Amino acid sequence: MRLLMWWSGRALSSAATLLGVSVLIFAAVRLMPGGFAETVLGPFATAEQKAELATRYGLDQPVFMQYGHWLGTVAGGDFGISMISRQPVGAELLARLPVTAELSLLAVAVSVLAGVPLGVLTAVRARPGGGGAAGRLLSGLGVSVPEFVLGSLVVFVFSRYALGLEVGAWVPLTQDPARNLATMVLPAAVLSVFAVSVTARTTRDAVMGVLVEPYVTAAVGRGESPWFIVRHHILRNAAAPVVTLLGTITAYLLGGALIVEHVFNLPGVGSYIVQAVGRRDYAVVQAGVLLAAGVFIVMNVVIDLLVGVLDPRLGVTAGRRS
Amino acid sequence: MRPIRLACGVAAALLATACAATGTTTQPSTGPQAEVEPGYLAVADDALPSGGTLNLQVHIDSGAATGYDPQLADVATTWQLLSLAYETLVTVGPDFSVQPLLAEKWETPSPTEYVFHLREDVSFSNGRKMTADDVVGSFERLLASKSVWRGQLGAVKSVTKDGDHTVKVTLKEPYTPFLAALANVPAAVLPMKEINDKSVDPATTLLGTGPYVVKDHRQDVSWTFKRNEKYWAKGKPAADTLNITIAPEEAARVAALQNGSAALATLGNVDSAGMLAGAGDVKVVTQATTDFYYLMLNTKAPASKFADPKVRQAIAIALDQRQIADIALGGKGEPSAVTPAGLPGACDPAALPSASKGIDDAKRLLAEAGAQNLTFTLSIYSTQPAPAVAQVIQQNLQQAGITVKIEQMDEAGWSGKVYGKAPAEFDAALSWFAGYADPGMVTKWWNPEEAGFNVGFMTPDKELNALIDAAGKEPAGAAREKALAAVCAKADADAQMIPLVTRPATVAFRTDALSPSLYSTEGYGNVLRLVADARVKKSQ
Repeated sequence: MRLLMWWSGRALSSAATLLGVSVLIFAAVRLMPGGFAETVLGPFATAEQKAELATRYGLDQPVFMQYGHWLGTVAGGDFGISMISRQPVGAELLARLPVTAELSLLAVAVSVLAGVPLGVLTAVRARPGGGGAAGRLLSGLGVSVPEFVLGSLVVFVFSRYALGLEVGAWVPLTQDPARNLATMVLPAAVLSVFAVSVTARTTRDAVMGVLVEPYVTAAVGRGESPWFIVRHHILRNAAAPVVTLLGTITAYLLGGALIVEHVFNLPGVGSYIVQAVGRRDYAVVQAGVLLAAGVFIVMNVVIDLLVGVLDPRLGVTAGRRS
Repeated sequence: MRPIRLACGVAAALLATACAATGTTTQPSTGPQAEVEPGYLAVADDALPSGGTLNLQVHIDSGAATGYDPQLADVATTWQLLSLAYETLVTVGPDFSVQPLLAEKWETPSPTEYVFHLREDVSFSNGRKMTADDVVGSFERLLASKSVWRGQLGAVKSVTKDGDHTVKVTLKEPYTPFLAALANVPAAVLPMKEINDKSVDPATTLLGTGPYVVKDHRQDVSWTFKRNEKYWAKGKPAADTLNITIAPEEAARVAALQNGSAALATLGNVDSAGMLAGAGDVKVVTQATTDFYYLMLNTKAPASKFADPKVRQAIAIALDQRQIADIALGGKGEPSAVTPAGLPGACDPAALPSASKGIDDAKRLLAEAGAQNLTFTLSIYSTQPAPAVAQVIQQNLQQAGITVKIEQMDEAGWSGKVYGKAPAEFDAALSWFAGYADPGMVTKWWNPEEAGFNVGFMTPDKELNALIDAAGKEPAGAAREKALAAVCAKADADAQMIPLVTRPATVAFRTDALSPSLYSTEGYGNVLRLVADARVKKSQ
């Protein structure tokens, strides 16, 4: 019963969140300066051509009617038609999703593989003057350098010194996996810099919190090996905040992918949305933002379930804590 | 300490790389681009074998709600892509001379009559032979459409066929740019039989007589073109496949050239040539174009600051076009009058009335207009080199005591502000026109009743409109040059749209991968005009 209540609550709050996002994004794209007609049709378009376009896409209707119509079609799984390509937005999103998913997964993998060990290492070896300042400096840099700055720098450097990696020449994974990886490594690395820094910092803090627990002291007293202590006592107990963070980061990376895909010329969802914003392609922007919101919601649910598995005290069926 | 040393080392390496790049930035150069043959920046080596795949990168896709319909295409980037599949009756040579294409020859029995003799061996890519009906039908469809290109064809009275391979066009009055106007994509010959029976929609399907056919297109991602096996010109196209990647980020295009994944790319930033300076196998060339930047002064806004012609003339006088070309365009552009610099018969911008006056004259005109402390906002889009051009304008006008505030917007916001309402809601704005292939063509855009798009900010000038029409009727020669000079002088005095400098195209290609042909000058913004000649040295 408690599980049913939890799922019901989650479904309701998710629907309310998506509805709120849909209102916000629908209003936001229409409040942006610059009209769709001048952008989509160009300056030479006549008033009749602009009117025809507005009629074709229902943009001559009152805004609340446009919203209602759009919401109805989205609820039925139809994200509308792109005013630029005149193709269904849903199909194009599906075609581009693998690129963004691959980029995000690679970035998450780098974050986990680099950030978690780095955090554990710096926590276990933490001592006064033990390199903490350097770690904080690097972590601070990683968090504060925007993706477009780092991405542009990497594009520039690797365009001069390729080192076996490719910039600006994406090929599908299904066509040539090796070349695909060569084109994805750099954008994934740029995208993961922020995530690695935050993961390492969070892991370090979580591990240091666990290190002072009595059961760790007891394990040391029992003569258990350091690796065994880390694996069985520290990592499991420090995992909840790290998993929560990684879940949030995974969703966040979709936002970062907007910039990274554009800078590295990757045909993913991010570059699709960036180009659509530039051209006021309403249906694409609305669908893209709604998709991103959906991913955030799903990731939050996954995090809650995962945390419950790792620590049943925090699980979705756990009793109310006082 | 090791992490700190590592961090310092990385930082030093990045700084060194950045400094090295700065050192290779090209210096402004006012000399013409070196030609390998008169009129050509590059000529494809016919000794190289045909075939292979050519990978190209351009910055923008064709993207309009009107789809791929050539007749409704109104921007050069779309013309460039559509020209791979569509062809026109005539084309433009390296010196802007009109040359045969689908019409193997033509006669002009009188100044208002043109008789085109069509090639008999031309087929559309579906295998159907092109006939005079396709040509007549294409004309009629264009003239009945809302295409902006209708205005460039002049006053067409009738289009008739005489047999399967002869078409006669009769104009209501002489119109000298007629043939040049036929040489652009909107005047392409369309498969009218298929369009009429609705088996082909040109908005969604490219079916032409050109050297390539579309195999695949993903909007804003890529195009793949395959050779048109039915193409009439023997031995062309040389490359079997064209892969065109849409890469909006200039740095990504530069990188693709450096690492060899692109054989040719168009570049927009004048500094990109410097970034490619260290790449031994990459050649960067600057193609002069007849496109030119211009400054719009809104005379239709309520309480317009530019209603008084003296204010506009003062601005025209204070602008230093040479400085704009040298600083903002790295010395690659040329000052231009309303007739694009570089076209045969174009006006000399140095001979314009505003060019012979100085800052003191500008200040005097402002004082006479009571506008000594003039301040206005210049709306620009963020794509380079528009911000650089705007900064030089700002500095130029400061010399005359005019304060310019630069408002930088994305292209959509800029378009909405400049073209969205009538009267338009801007003070001044910066843009550019394609200059086309005849000096009289673009002058038509100085008549808002003809152009339409500038009716929101430009007040018609009857005298200027009459001069534009008169220049269009004059046959090529001294009399036409005189008529065009009158247009230039009047437009200079009107100064609602002030021509600035030409807008060159930068093209880079890998010499180890490609042997292309490129004209030294281009009127329709089509870098890929001669791509059917290009020979692939190695596929990437």
